[in-house]
Amino acid sequence: MIWVVAVVLVVVLIGAFLVLRRRPHQEPGVVKFRRHIDALSSESRREVMDRVRPTEKRPDNGPGRDEPGRDELGR
Amino acid sequence: MARDLAIDLGTANTLVYMKGKGIVLNEPSVIALNRQTGEVLATGREAWQMIGRTPGYIVAVRPLRGVAITDLEITERMIRLLLQRVGVSRFTRPKVVICVPSAITEVERRAVTDAARRAGAADAQLIEQPMAAAIGADLPIDEPVGNMVIDIGGGTSETAVISLGGVVALEAVRVGSFDIDAAIQAYVRREHGIAIGERTAEEVKMAIGSAAPTEDESQAEVRGRDLMTGLPKTVVLTPEEIRFAIEDVVSSIIASVVRCLAKAPPELAQDFLVRGMYLVGGGGLLHGLATRIEQETQVPVKMSNMPLEAVVLGAGHCIEHYDALKNMFMGARR
Repeated sequence: MIWVVAVVLVVVLIGAFLVLRRRPHQEPGVVKFRRHIDALSSESRREVMDRVRPTEKRPDNGPGRDEPGRDELGR
Repeated sequence: MARDLAIDLGTANTLVYMKGKGIVLNEPSVIALNRQTGEVLATGREAWQMIGRTPGYIVAVRPLRGVAITDLEITERMIRLLLQRVGVSRFTRPKVVICVPSAITEVERRAVTDAARRAGAADAQLIEQPMAAAIGADLPIDEPVGNMVIDIGGGTSETAVISLGGVVALEAVRVGSFDIDAAIQAYVRREHGIAIGERTAEEVKMAIGSAAPTEDESQAEVRGRDLMTGLPKTVVLTPEEIRFAIEDVVSSIIASVVRCLAKAPPELAQDFLVRGMYLVGGGGLLHGLATRIEQETQVPVKMSNMPLEAVVLGAGHCIEHYDALKNMFMGARR
């Protein structure tokens, strides 16, 4: 009898372990929201903005003001 | 290993931002095809130069004209060529974020993502243009304040109120700077009896087109084909005439801005009076448009520093911070 209880207990424990492992890790809402907002901060965006500024100064690196792609009024 | 990409698939121009590098491609969304064989003959700037000047067997088209994906197969080929040009091969499959108008339908949305995946993207996500524009225009959208952005593109005009990283109010109309060109073409045809091409109409708009009277206005000589005789003819157009010709389109854009203002919660509405609204997109470069919107809404209007690049820069920022910002993608929120 004790063997049966032990086996059932082990099976239940393994089952619970597997279920918990399969469940995706849920980040708390506050943390997720904070990460989202931080990623949108001006500081975080500076890297992308800085990357594009040098190319603006070099006319040979992209279309000039009198060429399509830049000069067209439509995007 | 492929570098992930952000693509502003605009009606008029296509821009590509590569993760870690910046903007690597910026050219017109035009493709030239052989009508008989279906072969692609040219894309981008080269194809743009062919518009209205091709022999019968070649057709130069803007596949994204009028927002709608007018031809899925051509769109897919264009995306495939774009990806190839920025170094994507069958062995390097990048994640791609594509900016699309918020007015896009479910069918069009699926068409764009499917086209991108078939063209070689490992994963394709969509982001609404006004949201990307607000990020790219460096507005403080991470703060609990009302940020208003007006994105006037080739085929759509979208106005959005953004606060705390999310869209609060949105208004979009399927009217853009191509409609301004079409209005000029129609006016010249009707009033002067001459036919002018799409590119000529665009040149007229850029030279003397305005939404409100401006300083140092001048006239423009336009050459076209006389509808009666079939011979080449020159006419002189004035800025007043062009303002009259494009009035319906301009009014429709302003009406959508007013509707968006009306949708904004009162707490945020007061922020606009202090912070103003930001104009992005090529259509926003129309002379006098900012003044006209300001006059009709009584809200200050400012031009973004990089109006043509703002959308792709915003999407580029999302690709740089993909995991933190993935809930901004269109599929994630619905």
